[in-house]
Amino acid sequence: MARKLKDPWPRQRVGLGGWVRDHWRIANEAFSYVSLRFGTSLLVWLLVGIALALPSGLYLLQQNLADMTQGWEGRPGLSLYFEPGVEPAVLAAAAQQLQDRSEVAEVKVIDQAQALADFREFGALGDALDILGDNPLPASIRATLATDATLADLETLARIAERGEGVTDVVLEKTWLERVIDISTLVTRLGLVLGALFALGAVLVTATSVRLAIEARLEEVRVMKLVGATEGQIRRPFLYFGALYGLGGAIVAAMLLSAALLVVEQPINHLLNSYGQGLELSGFNPIFLVALLVTGAVLGVLGSLLAAHQRLADLAIH
Amino acid sequence: MGHIEFHQVSKRFENGFEALHRVSATFEEGSMSFLTGHSGAGKSTFLRLLLCLDRPTRGQILVNGINVTQLSSSRLPYYRQHLGAVFQDHHLLSQRTIYDNVAIPLRVAGMKERDIGRRVRAALTRVDLLSKERLLPAHLSTGEQQRVGIARAVVTRPKILLADEPTGNLDPQLSRDIMELFRQFNQVGTTVIIASHDRDLIEDMGERIVELANGSITRDSRGPAAQAQSDTLAVT
Repeated sequence: MARKLKDPWPRQRVGLGGWVRDHWRIANEAFSYVSLRFGTSLLVWLLVGIALALPSGLYLLQQNLADMTQGWEGRPGLSLYFEPGVEPAVLAAAAQQLQDRSEVAEVKVIDQAQALADFREFGALGDALDILGDNPLPASIRATLATDATLADLETLARIAERGEGVTDVVLEKTWLERVIDISTLVTRLGLVLGALFALGAVLVTATSVRLAIEARLEEVRVMKLVGATEGQIRRPFLYFGALYGLGGAIVAAMLLSAALLVVEQPINHLLNSYGQGLELSGFNPIFLVALLVTGAVLGVLGSLLAAHQRLADLAIH
Repeated sequence: MGHIEFHQVSKRFENGFEALHRVSATFEEGSMSFLTGHSGAGKSTFLRLLLCLDRPTRGQILVNGINVTQLSSSRLPYYRQHLGAVFQDHHLLSQRTIYDNVAIPLRVAGMKERDIGRRVRAALTRVDLLSKERLLPAHLSTGEQQRVGIARAVVTRPKILLADEPTGNLDPQLSRDIMELFRQFNQVGTTVIIASHDRDLIEDMGERIVELANGSITRDSRGPAAQAQSDTLAVT
């Protein structure tokens, strides 16, 4: 039986300590490299920062619009109108059926007599109804949606209500909210499209900058390859460059957003107050900031991976 | 663990130039050999194939019985960590101190900083440059830079040491000093192969000389030092 040759060049087991030591040393070197070229780094941070600021700003806008639609007192709902002379029991049954649904917050029954009384109270033509003799106003039920209900829920509810006994008409009350939700949807989609485009921009800016760093350190890369560095070890400093560029860009983006919020907060409050709606701009909180920093770092690392893949894969040693 | 065999090795580049043609040679563990020949004879290609910087078009290169031409890219680094390589242009990093240049292979191997310091200083002592460990390469003479390159190549205590024209830019006395340095490393059991076109120098060394011309071996002779060493190896 053939004896298997012992591997004369076994894979080195560096251990956790060695791994941490290596990362710490390379992170320090990367920080020094980026700091020493502050002018160039600042330019990269600004470019990445602007690329991150716009989609992040749209995200904040979308969040605030969502908060606004949820907090709006005139929540959407629907009114069911019944045929004249409908039995009170039918009205009560229809009201109970609506009340049992989770998407409905409140149900109000207005019978024919109540409708007439309301008409007399608010309308200028109350006396004219006396000429008609019979009460021509239909009984109705007004259902208000719960805060977590969606427009789709409202549509579903309307379809069910239409099939109810004695129901002649169903009127949806959603126009204002629909507009806000449409705007919110537009902002979300715009944010997604711009987010993807600007994220790609941030990746490419970082990739170009890291590519320059690789070019400046080609001799070091060659020496590393020559003395037996693994692909991971060769790439590692450049991943740190990318992460630092991304993190710096995210900090710039946070500063830009903060400045933008300061500028727009007062006029927005003024505008909304004039509609009787008080609003405090929200979303710019520690969780958002951490997410922004992580996104920046991840995009930076992606950019450096791209640059490393392009430049280091088949680098020849002369 | 420094036994090398070339079996019918050929290397043809994309432009059609054949740098090596069916070369076969054996280098015993602990031996010292010179590759010589005119420019373009195939000396550098020979060393590059051994370092796996290029792959041969055909043939096998066995190191300790393992065909290194078929090593996967993930295993290659670990193979290279067991080789030492010295080049004519040193490949020193200009922004790093002598200490840091010599420390690179040890950091790649994941050694602790305390052990790195001990090993680097030992290597610099061997090449008589300990006093200059904090200087940048630009502050050293060409000969000193070459010695730093040698210190970096031997700091991991490799079993095989390869050098491509290590004395190319040096005057005769410095060249002799560098060759003596290589001999010292060979005397502790390292297999040393040096490519050099300086015939006078390598004849004086009295070691094995493998001469290449147009990619083929045209002479393989052993000088007195090589004979003595092979006698010693035969006795032991």
